[in-house]
Amino acid sequence: MINVSGLRKSFGSVTALDGINFKAQDGEVTGLIGPNGAGKTTALRILYTVMQPDSGAAEIDDFDTVSHRQEVQRRIGVLPDSRGLYPRLTAREHIRYYGRLHGMGGKALEAQIDTLVEALGMGEFADRRAKGFSKGQVRKVALARAMVHEPKNLLLDEPTNGLDIASSRAVHQLIRDLKSKGCCVLFCSHIMREVAAISDRIVVLSSGQVVAQGTADELSQQTGESDLEEMFLSVTGSQEGW
Amino acid sequence: MWRGIFVVFAKEVVDNIRDRRSLMVAFIYPLLGPLILGVIISMVSNVVRVNPERHVQLPVVGAEHAPQLMAFLKNKGVNVVPAPADAKAAVRAGKANNILVVPENFTAQFGAKKTASVDLIVNSSRLPGLIALNRTLGWLGEYNQIVWGKRISTHGVDFQKLRPLTIKNVNVSSGTHIAEVLLFMVPPLFIFNLFMGGVYLAMDTTSGERERDSLEPLLINPIERWGLMLGKFLAALLFTAAAVAVQLFAFQIAFKLAGVGSFSFVHNLNALTIVGIMLMTLPLMIAAVGIQFVVATVTTSFKEAQTYLGLLPLVPAIPGMALVFSPVQVQDWMMAIPSFSQTLLLGQMVRGESITLSAVAISMATTTLLAGGLLWVVAKLYEREELIFGS
Repeated sequence: MINVSGLRKSFGSVTALDGINFKAQDGEVTGLIGPNGAGKTTALRILYTVMQPDSGAAEIDDFDTVSHRQEVQRRIGVLPDSRGLYPRLTAREHIRYYGRLHGMGGKALEAQIDTLVEALGMGEFADRRAKGFSKGQVRKVALARAMVHEPKNLLLDEPTNGLDIASSRAVHQLIRDLKSKGCCVLFCSHIMREVAAISDRIVVLSSGQVVAQGTADELSQQTGESDLEEMFLSVTGSQEGW
Repeated sequence: MWRGIFVVFAKEVVDNIRDRRSLMVAFIYPLLGPLILGVIISMVSNVVRVNPERHVQLPVVGAEHAPQLMAFLKNKGVNVVPAPADAKAAVRAGKANNILVVPENFTAQFGAKKTASVDLIVNSSRLPGLIALNRTLGWLGEYNQIVWGKRISTHGVDFQKLRPLTIKNVNVSSGTHIAEVLLFMVPPLFIFNLFMGGVYLAMDTTSGERERDSLEPLLINPIERWGLMLGKFLAALLFTAAAVAVQLFAFQIAFKLAGVGSFSFVHNLNALTIVGIMLMTLPLMIAAVGIQFVVATVTTSFKEAQTYLGLLPLVPAIPGMALVFSPVQVQDWMMAIPSFSQTLLLGQMVRGESITLSAVAISMATTTLLAGGLLWVVAKLYEREELIFGS
């Protein structure tokens, strides 16, 4: 469960987050959407502990991301905006590295790696070094290492960005599977149809503020727009920057 | 926590063992210094070594004009040979080290007890030329003095009274040949290598990690930032130590092959001494990796880090280079200066002087303080959220 309250963050004179509040429940998929520069990535970075808010608080399963950093880190699986691999390590070694950093090891870890390799369809390249991997392969490895410790909360920044249709569908299916297991999934996207298709709840960010939140139907009622794109443009008040 | 540090350390070691560039810097570059020094020493030794068994050749133009001088030279063991046709060209080309030219009027001048002149064609830009010049001047000076002594004694003057000064060369170096001076290049080469060995790892694991976009996901794992840093740091330290060890063993082999095996430093450079040198310089290795990590963390890109860190090893090596040409007398306070103290200690070892335990203790203590300080700074830098962007 994710709880964000009164989160503010500035970089110099630029206000990235101007007091945002939202919740993401277990067993639900929450979509975070907004124009470029709306503050999506900053909000996620605070949630996954690499940044600290100027004020306000972010909590994962009631643990504060600043004062209980490691407790939070054990409870989250993250696909960040930066998702680079080590060119000289194999896919399997990437997953093993993160598993060990989570205190896993031995047969249990190897079994978990096998499960992920199977589930994400990585068999063909699991023992190849990452240099020269396609975007889809990189994404799969990045997802697998983020989930090796079976986190209850998933934070995914643009998980399908740059992927082909088949790979995108595989990611969507993965998100639905996680939801059905009772996980709390928070994901960022700028693809409105994608957000509407797989999210239970949508949080719309614009200029560092939450301008609307609710289910797709609720947003549609609030704005009086039935077309998805019009609906989002209506709440963000912007014709530009998408 | 220690398990996490080890996990990071092991990953970085495996990752970099697979990297040709890291291996080059740690295992091939350290060979270059000993190789070059070994080759130079063996070449210089061949040039400088005076073989008393062999007659030294001196080409002479117009030997027939100065039979007494030739007789004196032959008596000194000099093999007087006819000079090539173009004497100057021959010396310039290095075919002859120097050539003595006796002019035709020598006999007349010398017979009349006047000042007779000879020309000595030399090439002072060549080391063998310089050595030959020194040798020939010695013989001619000696001949000059003998003739002068004889002439003045015919006037009833005791020529010893007119010679207030006799100069004898007393060489105090424990070795005997000039090639050993080149051994003093060991400390600067050692320091340069020490600051070079782990540099690729320091960059790859910090600015490289950021540039590959793999740092941000790594930071989300449940391990303290300082622990993450320490794992990477220890990997870079291991490669630094490997480079230092490789270089020391390479020095040992190169010097033995180059034929300076009789020199005490080379003789003593066994596995135990090498371990001793490594322990003595371990604090400096930590400090070197510390500086590399500070630079690699605050710079925004791999290229920027490379620019600074490429030059870094030169800075601590410069005092050592200067000491090759103008050695200083070692004082205790100098042992408090990290890198300089190790340069001096190694210099003392190379010269075959004994080093004091207190000097080693001061050197290790002050350098450990610096290393600790640098580690603390790097740990603080890793805590900053700017770490993921650089700056």
